Order: sequence, then C-alpha cells, then structure tokens
Amino acid sequence: MIKKNDTLLISLRGIFKKYPMGKNDFYEALHGIDLDINEGEFVAITGPSGSGKSTLMHILGALDNPTEGSQFFKGKNISSYSEDELADIRNKEIGFVFQFFNLLPKMTVFKNVERPMLYGGIPPSERNQRVMKALSSVGIADKADNLSNHISGGQIQRVAIARALIMNPSVILADEPTGNLDSKASLEIINILSDLNKQGHTIIIITHEEEIANFAKRKIKIIDGKIVSDVKNKP
Amino acid sequence: MEIKETLKSAIDSLKINKLRSLLTMLGIIIGIAAVIIISSVGKGVVTYVSDELSSFGTNFFQINPGNNMMSAITGGGEPLTTGDVSAIKDANISNIQNVVEFSMTSKAVSANDESIRVSVYGMTPEGETLLKPNMIYGEFLTNDDINSRVAVIGSEVADKLFGENTDPVGESIKIDEMRFSVIGVSKSGGNLFGSFFNTSITLPLETLQHQITGVDELVEIDVEVKNTDYIKETMDEVELVLKDYRKIADDEENDFIMESFTESLNIFETITNVLTLFITGISAISLVVGGIGVMNIMLVSVTERTKEIGLLKSIGAKRKDILSQFLVESSIITTVGGFIGIILGIGITYLVSVLVGIPFIVNMVWVVIATIISISVGIIFGLYPAQKAAKLHAIDALRFE
Repeated sequence: MIKKNDTLLISLRGIFKKYPMGKNDFYEALHGIDLDINEGEFVAITGPSGSGKSTLMHILGALDNPTEGSQFFKGKNISSYSEDELADIRNKEIGFVFQFFNLLPKMTVFKNVERPMLYGGIPPSERNQRVMKALSSVGIADKADNLSNHISGGQIQRVAIARALIMNPSVILADEPTGNLDSKASLEIINILSDLNKQGHTIIIITHEEEIANFAKRKIKIIDGKIVSDVKNKP
Repeated sequence: MEIKETLKSAIDSLKINKLRSLLTMLGIIIGIAAVIIISSVGKGVVTYVSDELSSFGTNFFQINPGNNMMSAITGGGEPLTTGDVSAIKDANISNIQNVVEFSMTSKAVSANDESIRVSVYGMTPEGETLLKPNMIYGEFLTNDDINSRVAVIGSEVADKLFGENTDPVGESIKIDEMRFSVIGVSKSGGNLFGSFFNTSITLPLETLQHQITGVDELVEIDVEVKNTDYIKETMDEVELVLKDYRKIADDEENDFIMESFTESLNIFETITNVLTLFITGISAISLVVGGIGVMNIMLVSVTERTKEIGLLKSIGAKRKDILSQFLVESSIITTVGGFIGIILGIGITYLVSVLVGIPFIVNMVWVVIATIISISVGIIFGLYPAQKAAKLHAIDALRFE
C-alpha cells in the first residue's frame, strides 16, 4: 500500500453528543470536538473512563451520528447518514477491533473473517484466498478451522485484526484491543498494529494505558468530552 | 448478503442451539402431522364407506311398507304388493330404468341331512343388475326361471349345506318338502352392506309367492334410476304415484317409506367431511400454538444475541441482512418441522389404514395447505422478532450488557 500522508481522512467539526437521561435531562458525552485525522496516521485516543473517548470512537467509526456538528469521512458529510448508509461505510472503509465480543460464538475463525465480505458482496471465488491471506498476515493461518471459542485471547484479537483488514479499509479502529490481554499478548497485538501502520494503514486506537498509547505517533487526550491535549510522539 | 450465505449462516446459528431448535420444531411437527393424519384418515373413512355403498349399488332408491323405520323392519301397515309395482311401471316416469320387487320369508332348508333356517328372498332377474351380487358358482336367476323350482344360495349357506369350497350347482335342496335345484352361489360385493347375499337363499319371485307363501306381499320395491342426479325428483314422482294408487290424501301420513342410498351416502359424506374439517381445524390451532412457540424462542434469541447483532452491524450488516438472517432462521425451523410433520403424518396415516382396514389415502390438498402454512407460520411469527433485531442500533447493540 502506498503511503498517502497529509490526505484528510476523518474530520470532525463542533461535535456534540447528548444522551437523554430521564424526561427533560440529558448527559453530554462530547462537548464540541474538532479533530482531523489524515491517512497513514497512527493515533491513540486516551482518557479516563467516562471521559467520552468511547463515544468519540463511535463517531469516528461511523457507528453513531453526533447530536450536533459535522462528521466528514473522506470529504463527505456523513452526519445525517441513515443506519444502512453508515453500515456500508463501516463495511468498506472501517475495520473494527473491540475489547470484548469480537467474534461470532461457536463459529470457525474462517467464517468470522469471511463475514464482512458477505455483506460487501465479494464473490465466493475471491473470498477463500482473501481470508487465508489476512490470517497469514497476523500469523494464525493454521487456526482457520478452529472454533472461535477454542482459541486464546491473543489469538481472538489477531482474528479480529484479520477481519478488520479483510475489506481493505481506509482505517482500523481498535477499542481497547489489549484491555483483556496479558502483557506478552498485548505487546504482540500492538506490534501487529504498528507493523500495519508502517505498511500504510491508518490506525486509531482507544486506550487508557499510557504504555500502549506511546506506541502511536500521535496522542490525543480527552477529558469530560473535550480534547485537552493533541501531541505528536517523538519517533 | 446472498440467499445462499444467509441460509448457511442461519443453519449455523440454529445448530449452535440444537436442542432448542428441535424443541421449537416439535410444536410445528406435531401440528402438521395432526392435520395430515386427521384429514387423510377422514378421507379414507369416507372413501371406504362410499366404496362399500357403491359396490351395493347407489343408483336406486327403496320403498318399504310402514311409516317409520321400525315398522318397515317388523312389517305392519298396509303391505306393498305387485299392484304397487305395476302402478309405478304404468306411470312411465322417464328417469326410471327398472323396478325390482322382493318378497321374503324365513324357512328351514335342508340338503345332505343338514338343515338350517334361513331368509328366503323372492326376486326378479333384474335384482342382479341392481344389487350386483358376486356369483362365485353358476348363474343368477334368469327370465327362463319364472315359477320354476330353482334357487341361488348364499355362500355361507352353501358352506353349511355342502361343505366349504365345493361347487353345489346342480345339487338340490329341500324347502317345505319341495325340491329346488341349485343354479348359483352368491356372495355380496362389499363388506358393510348387502351381506344377505351370503346368508340367504334367492328364489324366483313368482315361485316364492305362488308355491311357498301364497300371498303377493312384498318386503321391498327397489327403483333403479337412469340418472342419479335426479333421484330426488324421481322419488317425489313415485311418491305421488303411490299416494294416488294407495288412496292416501295429501294431508295423510304415508304408509310406506322411501329411502335412497345415494341420499344416505350424501348425508354420511357431508357429516364426515364437516367433522373432518372441524377436527382438522382444531388440530390447525396447535399449529398456531407452535407458531407462538417459534415467536417466543426467536424473541429470546434476539435478546440473547443483541451483542452479536451489534457486532454484525459494526462489520457492515444492513437492516435487511439482520432481518433476513432471523426470518430465515424461523422459516427453516417451521419448514423443516413441517416437512418432518408431513412425513410423520403420512407414515401414521399408513399405519392407521393398515390397522383399521381403510384405504390408504393421503389428503394431498392438506399436504399442500400444511406446507404453505408451515412456511407462512415461520414468516409471520418470525417477522416481529426479526424486525426487532433489525431495528437495533449498532451502537445500542454493542453497548448491551
């Protein structure tokens, strides 16, 4: 993949997100966020729990629309897109790695990785090869026929990364991808993500662990729904 | 998502909860099997009885003396005579093919030192075309036999007098010290009706009336019609003729009764069909109960799999993908259940037909209806849970604890 630095990928302008609480009250999770992320970046979003970093991840990942403000993806304003239109963007442009419940239970690794291609209309002839290539790239091609509940936590995250890569997305969004792992497995996962970034993939990682955040090239800290710092890590 | 992949993934999901899927299916299996068994066995019974009646002849109606069923059997009232027969024949009613009269008495019959008491019928040769006895040996009465001492004996009578599996044609029997030559052995066509051809003796009508009983009383007149569609109209015409001949005023009660097998058969078929439909309808209720079971399980499944739905939406599943996934799951349960139910229903219907001795008939109309119902139950009762799943927001589903 060719590295395309300084091409704007995601752009947020004046984002507010409010959740209703009871009849006349609401909870404001995001309080005026402005943020630009370019292609090829490796961004870590940090913050304490309740800071709004998960809500921000949902907006960045086109999982949710903001209450106020504009959300641009590759120059298109997607703030008022329907569920199905957002689903299409998630399918083709965004690869997710979650902390928990990453894989379909009691289904093979192969089927889990293949799934996004079924929604994306990739012909059967291509699918087999692409799954095996994605699994090889995270080093678990030998686990293709294992059931998702018969592999280790570290392997689950690798499968999730393979699935995130399968549609060749513009960005990989990882929400606490190492939150569930021991330090050795954590290091393996973060190294895979780093390598993918070196190959040109845009990576956004949400974490509360400072050491994990330090692997990224850019660190954004969010507290009480506002960005309090946005710094480039020294290489 | 392609249909094939949706099917595969639905089957995968159902396999994860095998026991639950099977138990849910059981409701549909039982419902469909019940519908098939009841409708098919009902049709088998109707066919059995109709065949029996047809083998005896349904193209005639009978006239008996008396004014109710009881007096028709016991006698009493003004008897029917050959005069009534002539009156009917003279009326030249166009739909009448034949008029056959019977007289009857009971006599001791002997041969080969064996003696038994049997019913002795006097009959004209037309009795054969009308009542269709099976002649296992010899011939039925012909016009040449009028007034002569010949007899057609029932198969059971023959067995008793001459021993089993022997042809008694040409032998003679004795009634009231008179010798009769056996010209045939009769057996009734069906099993349910007309068994008198097995157990009685038939003589030419005139022989019985003139040489044995000495009276021209008749126990029954059978009127054969050309077209059974107009049997009711012909019965009405004959009733008028007899009322006139027997001088019965319009406001007086008849001293004869008329009945047709066709009518009885129609009533029987109507009652059985209504009853079958009714019980089939009741068993169809169990299908609705089965459907509610499917809906219940699908609702549980949607709640249980909320996080899975969130995950699928996050990797690009659209509403219709989720909707079809759940709809296909519920339809597979009911379609497979329906298919098993049909096989089971046909199997049990076969067993019942063998055990009870009725014809094995599968009511194909209900097989088709059952197939349509089982697929629709899956779609109808699966729709609400599937919609509920499809409407979940990716984010709410992911956050669900």
